Amino acid sequence: MAEHVILFTGPMGAGKTTAIQSLSEIEVVRTEATNTERHVVDKATTTVALDYGEIVIGADEKVRLYGIPGQKRFSFMWTILKKRAKGMVLLVNSDAPDPIAEMVFFLEEFRELYDRGGVVIGVTRADVAEGPSLGDYFDALERTNPGLVIPVFTVDPRERDQMENLLLALVVNIEMRAAFGMATVAGSA
Amino acid sequence: MKPAVVEAATTLLSDMNAATSSLTYAALLTDDGFDVARFPVKTDGARFAGMASSMQALSDAVTHELSIGDSEYIIIASGKGHVVQLRVPGKELVLSALFDNDATVGHALAIARSFAQRMADLLA
Repeated sequence: MAEHVILFTGPMGAGKTTAIQSLSEIEVVRTEATNTERHVVDKATTTVALDYGEIVIGADEKVRLYGIPGQKRFSFMWTILKKRAKGMVLLVNSDAPDPIAEMVFFLEEFRELYDRGGVVIGVTRADVAEGPSLGDYFDALERTNPGLVIPVFTVDPRERDQMENLLLALVVNIEMRAAFGMATVAGSA
Repeated sequence: MKPAVVEAATTLLSDMNAATSSLTYAALLTDDGFDVARFPVKTDGARFAGMASSMQALSDAVTHELSIGDSEYIIIASGKGHVVQLRVPGKELVLSALFDNDATVGHALAIARSFAQRMADLLA
């Protein structure tokens, strides 16, 4: 059985835990603690080590799903988790003060995952806040990371179908690059 | 965190050091990884607080996975000392302490348990 290890990254409140919960076919390993930063992101709990889930796609491709804690004070976990991953689903929430800056920050932090496999970006909470358009995200990617081809989608992490599409886009991207040794494979939003 | 709690926790960690000369570092932190107090005071506890909270959560996840009840304490043994860590009873706070090898693991655990309970009593 082929296996992929995919990392879900992005800031606190972007929906990483929810996305893994939606996708996983096993009980998700969660490491939640009471959130004492309600003034920053108003949610009851926050991930402090990792989330872990699994899904089998196609006939026999197991995808191991790891979620990072979104806050910088847990960056030591980012270092640990990025070593084992071959691709990244980067989630940014549209209602953050500056979601494009968050996207650029996390892409830079986890850039090696693009080089090693591939990256897709999911913009969450676009239905509750009028944030930047998808064009704004593409423009920012072209400005900060010219030449990289990274699909950008709007997604609802609660919706399994949407998250599956995002994950499949990433897996196909990784496999094509591995098969053909291509530097980039065009994706679309 | 209220200043009075930080002050009480700082005093308690100092008392902990007075109780055993083997204590070389101690920290009180929130479940979500924020430094509350530490001994020695003049150290940067932010990074360690994050690590300790991750360890605590992972130990909870392991005990849940194996269906063995709640995690009571964590011990990391190394050549130069041991880290003993446990939750302050009934609170969303964690006490993590480093002892040198002059203290046995049992003694270090007894000290850590005693002071975690004292912290809980202070906050009651």
